[in-house]
Parts: sequence; C-alpha cells; structure tokens
Amino acid sequence: MTSATSEGSAGAGSASVADGTRPLLRVDELSVVLGGSRAVNSVSLSLDRGVVLGVVGANGSGKTTLLRAIAGLVEPEPGNGGIAIFSSGGIAPISSGRSVAEADGGLGPGSGEPGLERLSQRDRARMIAYMPQQADSHPFSVFEAVLMGRYPHLGRFQLEGAGDRAMAWEAMERTGVTEFADRKIDELSGGERQRVVLARVLVQQADLLLMDEPTAALDLRHQMLTMDLVREEAVGRGAGAIVVMHDLSLAARFCDRLILLNGGRKVADGSPWEVLTPDNLRSAFGVEGLVEPDPVTGRPHVLLLGSESSSQEDRVGSGRRVHLICGAGSGRELMHQLRVAGYTVTAGVLGTGDSDREAADRLGVGYVSAPPFSGITDEQHSEHRELVRAADHVVLLPMAVGVNNLRNLEAVLTAESLMMVEPPDGGKVADFAGGRALELRRELIDRVGQVPESAVLFELARVGRE
Amino acid sequence: MLVFVGGDGAGGGSSGVSGPPSGSVLKRVGGGALVLGAATIVMVIVASAVGPFNIPISHTVSTLLDLIGIGDSAAKPTERAIIQSIRLPRIFLAFLVGSALGISGGIMQGLFRNSMADPGIIGVSSGGATGAVAAIASGASTVSTLFLPLFAFIGSGVAMAAVFLIASTGGRFSMMTLLLGGIAVGSFLGAITTATIVLTDNLSVQRQIIFWIAGGMDTARWESVRIAAPIIVTGALIAVFVARDLNLLLVGEDEARALGVRVTLVRNTLLVTASLITGAAVAFSGIIAFVGLIVPHVVRLVVGADHRVLLPLSALAGGLFLLIADTAARVVLSPAELRVGILTALIGAPFFIYLLVRNRTRLSI
Repeated sequence: MTSATSEGSAGAGSASVADGTRPLLRVDELSVVLGGSRAVNSVSLSLDRGVVLGVVGANGSGKTTLLRAIAGLVEPEPGNGGIAIFSSGGIAPISSGRSVAEADGGLGPGSGEPGLERLSQRDRARMIAYMPQQADSHPFSVFEAVLMGRYPHLGRFQLEGAGDRAMAWEAMERTGVTEFADRKIDELSGGERQRVVLARVLVQQADLLLMDEPTAALDLRHQMLTMDLVREEAVGRGAGAIVVMHDLSLAARFCDRLILLNGGRKVADGSPWEVLTPDNLRSAFGVEGLVEPDPVTGRPHVLLLGSESSSQEDRVGSGRRVHLICGAGSGRELMHQLRVAGYTVTAGVLGTGDSDREAADRLGVGYVSAPPFSGITDEQHSEHRELVRAADHVVLLPMAVGVNNLRNLEAVLTAESLMMVEPPDGGKVADFAGGRALELRRELIDRVGQVPESAVLFELARVGRE
Repeated sequence: MLVFVGGDGAGGGSSGVSGPPSGSVLKRVGGGALVLGAATIVMVIVASAVGPFNIPISHTVSTLLDLIGIGDSAAKPTERAIIQSIRLPRIFLAFLVGSALGISGGIMQGLFRNSMADPGIIGVSSGGATGAVAAIASGASTVSTLFLPLFAFIGSGVAMAAVFLIASTGGRFSMMTLLLGGIAVGSFLGAITTATIVLTDNLSVQRQIIFWIAGGMDTARWESVRIAAPIIVTGALIAVFVARDLNLLLVGEDEARALGVRVTLVRNTLLVTASLITGAAVAFSGIIAFVGLIVPHVVRLVVGADHRVLLPLSALAGGLFLLIADTAARVVLSPAELRVGILTALIGAPFFIYLLVRNRTRLSI
C-alpha cells in the first residue's frame, strides 16, 4: 500500500516545479446559500499538489455542496469568498472575490467580478475532474462513457483518436472494468458503475480531482483499490484530490489531511489524528467513539461505541452503575456493551497487562489497579469492596480464578444485586485456587442462579425498571 | 436482521476483451451512410419511375443521369418533364422532411432522456397547424402559395417561444416544465384548430385544413425545396456538431458541466434547432406522424446511443423512410393518393407496438 506522506510528495508533478510553493487550490471564506440556508459557511482551505484531502462530516454538513462549489456546479455566495486554482497552465482564478485577488496581487482582472465565466468551461474541465455521488443510468456503453472523459481535451470538431482510446482502456484496466467494455451502464451494479465513473475521471487527466464518496457503493477490495488509485494520481503525477468520505477509518488511512465540516462550517483541519478525536466525533457526528492506532497501518482507527441519538439521560443505563468482576478478557465485550448502553461501569482488581484492563482504559471504566501476577493486598481489597458497595448491580464473569485474584471473588459476597454469567458453551470455570473458587461459585449459584452473557443487558434493564 | 454481503458484481462474466473496442465514430457514420445512401439512390429511381404515369426504369435512370450532367437521355420530353418538375421536387421534399423529423426526434429524445419524445413535443407541430389554419381560413393561402408554409412556420415559432417563456418564467428553467408547457400549449392550439374546422361554413376550407393536418407532399415544388433545404440542412449540421455535448447531457447535467459543456447554451441551441427544422418540415408537409418517434428509435437499436452517429444516421434514415412512405402513398390507391401522414401512422404505430413487445427492456434511452 502506498504510504501517506503529504510533505515532500508535492514535487512529483512536472508542473508543480514551476508553481514553487503555491498551492494547487485555494478556497477563501467560501459560502454557498442553498434554499435560503447557508449550506457552506465561510470555509477556507488550501490544497497542495500530491495531497489527498479528505472531507468528513455528518449528513447535511455541507460536504457535497463544498465540492460542487469548487467544481463550479453551484454558485458561491457573492461577497468576500473566492476560489483559485493554480494549475499547470498558470494561474487560473475560477471564481474570485476580493480576498483571493488581493492576497495574490491581482489574480484576475478586477476583483469582485464573478469569475466563473472568465475561465472557459472547457479549460476548467481540463483542470478539475468531478466525480458525483451517484452515477445516473444512461444509454451508453461502458467504453463510450469512459471515453467521454477525453472530451475536454478534444477540439470542437475533433474525434477521439487511437491515443484517447488507449488511455480510456488503460484507465478501465486500472479500475477493473474492461470486462464490461461493451455493456450498457444500466446493466451494471452500483459498485461497477462507480468504477466506470472513476475510470472516466482518471481519463480526464485533471490536476484537481473532486470526488464525492467514490467508495460508497464499493466492496472492501474495491474501496482499497479506488483509494490506492487516488493516491497514485496524487503522488505519481502531482494531482491534488479532495475526497468526501463517510468511512472515517478509510479516510484516515488514505488521506494526508482531513477537514471536518459541521453545519456548513469547517470545525477541524489537520492530520487524521488531529481531526478524528472523540470530542470531534461527539460534536460533529453525535457518536461516542474511540480513536486508536490501526494495528497494521498505525493510522487512526475509529471504533464506535454508540450514538447519541437518544440523549444521555434517555439511555437504558444512564445514572446506573454496574460493577464487573472479570479478568483476562472475560469482561471486555460486556464492558463495551454496557458503556454503549449508557451505564457507568467499574471493574474489580485488574493486574497490569490484563486484556480486560486495556479495555477498561479505552472505555473509561474505573478499576482497582494491581501489579501483574501478584496477590490482592488488603488495601486493594477494601478499595474494591468500596466499588462493589457503590454499584447498583454487580456482574460476576466466568473468569479463571487463582490464588492471586481469589479475593476478587470474595468481594462479591457483600453485593446486594448480583448477577452471575454462566461459562460459555457449557464449559467449566478454571479453578487454580485449590477448590475454593468453585466452592464460592457454587454457593453464589445457589443464591442467585446464572444467566448467559447475552442476557445480561436485558436482565439489567429489567431489574432497573423494577 | 439479515444482511447480504459480497463483492461487486458477483454475476458478471468476463467477455474476454483485451483491447479498446474498435469502430470509430467516422467509421460507423460512414458505414451507415453508405447503406442508407445506396438504398436512397435506389428509392429515388423507383420513386421517379412510378406513379399514375409509369416511366420505364431505363428512361428514368438516363433522365436522372442527364439531369446531373452525365450522358444523354433517351426519354421522351413528357417523361423528362414529369420527372424533373413533378416527381423530383416531391422526392427531395419528402427526403428533407423525413430527415428533419428523424434528426429532431433524435435530439428531443436525447434532451428529454425519453424515447417517447417526438419532434413536436414542445408544441411546434400544433403551432404549425394553427398557423396553417389561419392561412387557409383567412384566405391568405390563395393569395400566394408560399403564404401557407410561411404562416405555418410562424405558428411553429410562436408556439415554441410561448413554451420557452412558460418554462423559464418563475424561477428555474426545467425540462419538466418545458414538457408540460408543450403539452398545454399543444392542446390549446389543437382546440383552436378543431374549433375552426367545426365552426366554418366553408366546406372547401374545412377540407383543406383536414388535408393539411393529415400531412402530404403533394404541394411540393422546387420552390418549397429551395426554401426548406437551407433551414433543414443548416439545422442538421448544427445538431451534428453539438451531438457530443448532447451525449454528455444524457450522462448527467453535473457531469456534462464538469466535462466542459456549457449546458444551458447547448440545450437551448438544440431545442431551438430541433424546433426550427421541425417547423420548416411541418410548414411544407403538414403533420406527419410517427417518423420522428420511430426513426431515431430504430437507429439507436442498431448503432447505439452515441449522438454523433445517431443524429446523422437518423436524418438519412428518416429521409429514406418518408421517401418510401410517400412513394407508397402515391401508388397504393393510384390514381388517387393516400395522405402520407396517414400512411406513416398506419405503418408506424403497429411497428412501434412490435418494438415495444419484442424489446421491452431496450426501449429505455
């Protein structure tokens, strides 16, 4: 896989040398009004050659409108804002307002003038390729559709030559659609259509690629292939790409930089690590999430805990406290589920390196800390009993018990509302404490019985209602 | 909850293609033109020879060759006169009108993304009919033979302008408003035409109007050809030159714009062009049904949807089709004549139904 290096890759395209340090695209305080409301509100950004910029945000946050405005498909709100592209052909203000023109010392003739007409539509099409969210059906064959990407490069009375046809074929090979060459678009699946459109975008050979959810309809392999192609275009020939994406982990993996939109405003701009924070996930998407390094790529990986669609107070577990007695991974899953359901969760004594302890750290679950492979001290034990007392419910998981964590089990005895989870698949609980653990468990089973793990949440909710 | 998972296109078999498909636009247009052109030449000879007064094929061919300056004709002067002054203008006009209807049908079907669109979709034909009715009812058509086509052409133009105005007033221009406006204006004008037929006391006027509406080439003279040809040929050339942009419009408005098409300009150019050539055709021939609907349709089934190929070949095929239909109209009831508009509908409608039934899935544009 292509590794993402935003710095240093800008020199790949031959034209970028001449452009020096100028960005490929600059957008200054761009606003777009659609149907009376400001769909894009004073957004500024700049994009260098060789960079893949991801645009993320919730539905209706203005991602598509921003992209369409840059593509020249919707008129920006007249005023200060402006869009400028610095393409191989030199400076080309697509649409300029005061701020861009002033900052660059007269980008175009006269500021404040609507600039879209100043650049012919055809010239713009050679600089900017736009890939819409959805590919409408049309009566053309796949090959014809891809070949249309060459139109902006042909003269009015010129027909596609062998070179154009070869380029179209090559692009189709890159997106894997050559086998459909003679088929009609309407005969293809959504994902196949999307790859046809991608091939057309590649054939256009534009400096700036604007792509609206190019992976939306794709299976996993083609998501990867598509994003690899975008990176190849950026790194290989110095194009810049702005890609609207919904899959945050995919965005983090393939984009050098992300911007986050919320209500038409840009609320974050930076590396994936800077943009994808739990706070931003909550404020912009209304979800509780965790951001962790992907074990393979090291890039941010977003784990979702749950949505905030129901407000904190409405959730089943809100205001209730559940204490888990677990260890060695036995409580991991339940911990996650309980957090999503809104419970405040605590856990018993967990030694360093215990996988339940790692999960607790990630999920914001409080626990009593102990050094690895050591017995539970009096101090830890009383601290633990404190947590048990504070909890509304205590859940005992079928973890293996040895002399070191036997006291975890003993702490349960004082619990008022206890629930015991039966060992998975009818197995037995390992007892390394000379029979004492099993004895204790039998005693507890006589008192409260056992439930399968899958029933715990339901039972808790039921008990909670009563 | 059940969720289906799987890779893209699990059903797609490989066709084993290993390189870009061949067959450039020029080759396809050329191939089609060759076939249609040859058929047209044969049809011109047949149409020149047959009629109430049959002329031997050998005389016909030598006369035709003589007319274009090759060899000497062995034909009698009467035969020559019939061919030159009566049959040839009619052949030319039929071909021109058929071409106009074929190409503007292709344009309208593309613009409206609907294979049910015909050249008169935005009210042009109804406008032409109303203009013709005005010329006949007012007696203007008796003053000069050119007044009838002139009034009809003006009627088409006014109807088109009205529909445009309706579609672009009150906010955004949309193809849907254009379509509905065309239907409304067409119905309104149709009512005027019907009212004139019903209310007039003059039987001759009534008959003339009904004749005109049924469509026919019987009034064809060289003068008609000289007036209609420049309009139709120019329009056809313009249409062929923007055919590439029409292709992109069909893919999608955003895509077209992003690929460098000036959408509004192209769309308006095509609408006006198609309407004007339809108006010119209708002015000289009256209303001829189904040609503009079926011809582009059939051509698309054969050559595909690339309008750079589709439009020129629709023009040639439309011309050939109307020439055949008009010749048949002259011959079937000889020495009387069937109105060609009736014949095209009689042949066209069943053929269209046949296509519908056979090719259900491929009729979408």
